[in-house]
Amino acid sequence: MSRRKFLLSTGVATTTVMVTIGTGKAATDIPAMVATYPRKKIAKLSALKADEPLNFEYPDEGAYAQSMLVKLGTEAGGGIGPQKDVVAFNNFCTHQGGDLTDSYKADTKSMGACPLHLSTYDLTRHGILISGQAYQSLPQVLLELQGDDIYAVGVFGLIYGRFDNLQG
Amino acid sequence: MSTPYYIPETNVPLPPKGADVITTACDYCIVACGYKVYRWPVAGGRSGGPKASQNAFGADFPVEVLGPWVAPNQHNVVLHEGEPHHVVIVPDKDTEFVNTDGDSSLRGGCIAQKCYNPQTPTRDRLSAPLMRIYGILQPVPWDFALDVAAEVGNYVRTKHGANAYGVKTYSYQFIENTYAITKYALRHINTANFTFHDTPSDVSSTPGFRDAGFDNFGPAYEDWMNAETLMICGTDPYETKTILWTQWIMKGIQNGQKCIMMTPRRTAGVAYAENNGGLWLDVNLGTDLLVVNAIARIIVENNWQDAEWIENWVNNKWGSNSGFGQGTRNTPWQWRTTWGKFQTDGFDDWKKWLLAQDEFKPEHAAKVAGIDIKKIYTAAEMMAKPRNGKHPKTSLMIEKGFYWSNNTGNTQAISALGIIVGAGGRPGQVIGRAGGHQRGGQRGGKYPRNKSPMKLPGRRRRALDTDTWTMSGHTRFAHVIGTTWIQSMCGSQQLAKRFEELTVANPHQVRAYDKQDIIDTLKRRADSGGMVVINQDIYLVDPIGNRYADIVFPAATWGEDTFMRANGERRLRLYNRFYDPPGEAKPDWWIIAELGKRMGFDGFDWKNSNDVAEESARFSRGSRKDFNMIKVAAHREGKTLHQKLGEFGTNGIQGPVFMREDGSLMGTKRLHDTTRKLDPDGPQGANMFNKKLTHFNSQTGRCNIQKSPWSLFSDYWEWMKPKGDELWCTSGRTNERWQSGFDDRRRPYIVQRWPDNYVEIHPEDAKARGIESGDMLMVFSDRVPSLKETILGVEGSDYSFSGQMKAGNVELTRAAVTGVAMVTRHIKKGILYMDFLHTSQPANALEGRIVDWISGNYNYKMGVAEVKKIGESPYKKSFRSMSFAPRDIT
Repeated sequence: MSRRKFLLSTGVATTTVMVTIGTGKAATDIPAMVATYPRKKIAKLSALKADEPLNFEYPDEGAYAQSMLVKLGTEAGGGIGPQKDVVAFNNFCTHQGGDLTDSYKADTKSMGACPLHLSTYDLTRHGILISGQAYQSLPQVLLELQGDDIYAVGVFGLIYGRFDNLQG
Repeated sequence: MSTPYYIPETNVPLPPKGADVITTACDYCIVACGYKVYRWPVAGGRSGGPKASQNAFGADFPVEVLGPWVAPNQHNVVLHEGEPHHVVIVPDKDTEFVNTDGDSSLRGGCIAQKCYNPQTPTRDRLSAPLMRIYGILQPVPWDFALDVAAEVGNYVRTKHGANAYGVKTYSYQFIENTYAITKYALRHINTANFTFHDTPSDVSSTPGFRDAGFDNFGPAYEDWMNAETLMICGTDPYETKTILWTQWIMKGIQNGQKCIMMTPRRTAGVAYAENNGGLWLDVNLGTDLLVVNAIARIIVENNWQDAEWIENWVNNKWGSNSGFGQGTRNTPWQWRTTWGKFQTDGFDDWKKWLLAQDEFKPEHAAKVAGIDIKKIYTAAEMMAKPRNGKHPKTSLMIEKGFYWSNNTGNTQAISALGIIVGAGGRPGQVIGRAGGHQRGGQRGGKYPRNKSPMKLPGRRRRALDTDTWTMSGHTRFAHVIGTTWIQSMCGSQQLAKRFEELTVANPHQVRAYDKQDIIDTLKRRADSGGMVVINQDIYLVDPIGNRYADIVFPAATWGEDTFMRANGERRLRLYNRFYDPPGEAKPDWWIIAELGKRMGFDGFDWKNSNDVAEESARFSRGSRKDFNMIKVAAHREGKTLHQKLGEFGTNGIQGPVFMREDGSLMGTKRLHDTTRKLDPDGPQGANMFNKKLTHFNSQTGRCNIQKSPWSLFSDYWEWMKPKGDELWCTSGRTNERWQSGFDDRRRPYIVQRWPDNYVEIHPEDAKARGIESGDMLMVFSDRVPSLKETILGVEGSDYSFSGQMKAGNVELTRAAVTGVAMVTRHIKKGILYMDFLHTSQPANALEGRIVDWISGNYNYKMGVAEVKKIGESPYKKSFRSMSFAPRDIT
């Protein structure tokens, strides 16, 4: 699924959103970069087991690139695969950067609680904050399925610590 | 207003080196975290870069964990001196107090989104005065609106008496504004028809604390951390005053503190406490008093009380009786403490009474409260059982879930429990409120209680109940400032119906173009028994402004003028202006001054907010946030009060403030500090010492230990408790949303998270009713009791709920509110929980409009309702908005 299709299929916006994010707010300060997310193969669909997360790095190997891919076993916003249940998220709390690695909870399909200030995130609903402090949802890594191969193709939401997802 | 669709951004501009840096504190909860505003012009495109040498933080991006990261929601564009400027508003990483670690909640963390920006959903900020002409609120000039309001207001108070002029105002929105408002309403209008946003009458929120001698906000935040056992009643601070939890209480728990939480919801803070050696007391609504007294009973049966503390700091028979004259005993405190229902001859007398009450036996308390009896014993041990021969350092914190569900009884009971475990006057051993709003009240006049026609048993007068007074048609001119009034009060749908009758359904409506004609029409409305409404606010509020107001004044707020305020540990800070208010909006002190001058009152000639602050300073003397010495120091140094307070930045200074011999200023860490040594020579210069610094707020300076009879409340509780298919129905805040959502309804991310009011229901209660998460529910009741008139009675017993029922003064009304089902394990079975102040789905409609007959407060937190599915919400099967995951994940 392309980023454009992702946006449309989840009822959000139009293509203009992608290329003019920041309209009216500092648009001149920000070079357009949406098209430059790398397309990175991260896993094979057939190898995924429900509720067993797989860690990977995206969109680069820099700070806070660590992310997780999981087959939730239940349909989720932005999910791919026949059950639309495979999703991926960045591993760092969007409050103050707490490390959420290995905090996936199968019973609630959630990430957290963050060890710093207890934020929790709902992975079935685009990483929305369940309870806590974070200033936005957990950044969702956009996925595409080609045959059995899962590709990461973009990130929805600013990654903690960075001022720009692609420039660091 | 915002729709529930939020498109996250993937980059954010950084403040450049040389950006203006302005300090402030958060506008929302009691904690008031310190913030810095970075401001730089849009013109020139000169934003900062990711290298330390390129940005105002001096930090390389990506930043460290806990570093100076900027989330996109922390950026906005505002007008400053007429020119567009970027602002980035982030928690102050350098602050030494309150939000140490530069921590912030989601509410304050995204406060940049509060700022008026016509390209965001804040575009509907009020920016011009409005007047309802031919049924429509139309923009008019300031002078036109002020002239009409003042002339009609003056007419009403002259013709119909001061009590016909009602003032319903916030108590907290900055010292300058509350001073101006109370000077106008209490000193000049001199009306008893006056109260604050959260109570129908101007009365103490915590009568038991008042009687015992405890200040609501005596403790320092470090005390909550340093307690070895902390009992928290009626709130989860993580949800409602988040940084008090994450920076103070949570660190205490990590250091071995036993945290006991009494609340029917197992939210994240409760789950964290329980997982770390604490305890959850999952009580049924309104049963707190029984559990508190059962804990006290176990403590005294085991002789675990702090005998030395009691000997030194609790009044005996002579102390209890001292200081009372033979007059009318006409203060609420005096009549309560001499009435005989509460007063004791000291600890032994209280103990004798406690042990004689069978309802406080742990078996009975556990049964009625619906909790495991073992928890009562465990709580008693945690709070009082000596450890290695020493009493544990125990503190007690209360908030609205507790003191608004048996206002008088609960606050009396917790005070006695606090006293016997030695809490109140030592580091780590304190008792107080957690707090809701910040402390921005400064009275510029005295409440004229002797003008209130409402009374208590005997000859005592009670502050006027503005809701029943208005329901009875006595308010002819309602001046409403920064509150919804209606949805914030109980039985709100009945109140709304009456407002409608008195305003828009009155035949005298403005259908004229001539000013005098408009004035005459509104005077005729008041004379005919109707009501004229004027409203000051930042947004048009439905229904008080939108549907009922005749005149709406646009107010300037946080960041748009410079103000002072204190937080929950009395820490005073300056909230600097950093951008222009929208259009013609003006601060409330200015609006009041313009009305005051037109009414012919003197003393309203202020030029700016500092003038108001300086005038108010002497009225703060002796209060918990006494800031008079800051003004003295300022003038000595040739500065203004605002300038001097501003020098303290986000650290601020804790009231009461004193001046040292060398002219420097010194704050007060905690009140009632029995370990504090004051200058033996007494206060020097203009400094002022009083009892509350080192003793308690009682007649002797020692605590009054009082009884808390269940029988004064049990008739209401028995009548109210769920019958048939009813469930208990209560309400409160949620972490991600502040107050009525006046700002949060205009933040796309928060609206995405909480698009509608919600109804938390236990899985078993839901299953029995065929309800699933995401279903749209009707929550309704045929049993919303309301007082028809002010309490009627002669003898003490007439005043109780059953006495009022017998007198025919209670009417049963209906209410209906919709909400989205949230079937969750974190709510106790048998209880529904909703957001307390969704203006379009007001949960308070379901709560009885019956005041606590001893204190005059509402018991907002213990209604009942039936609930049924009426369909599915749009959020049930889509993934973009809401979450139905539980709030206890750890």
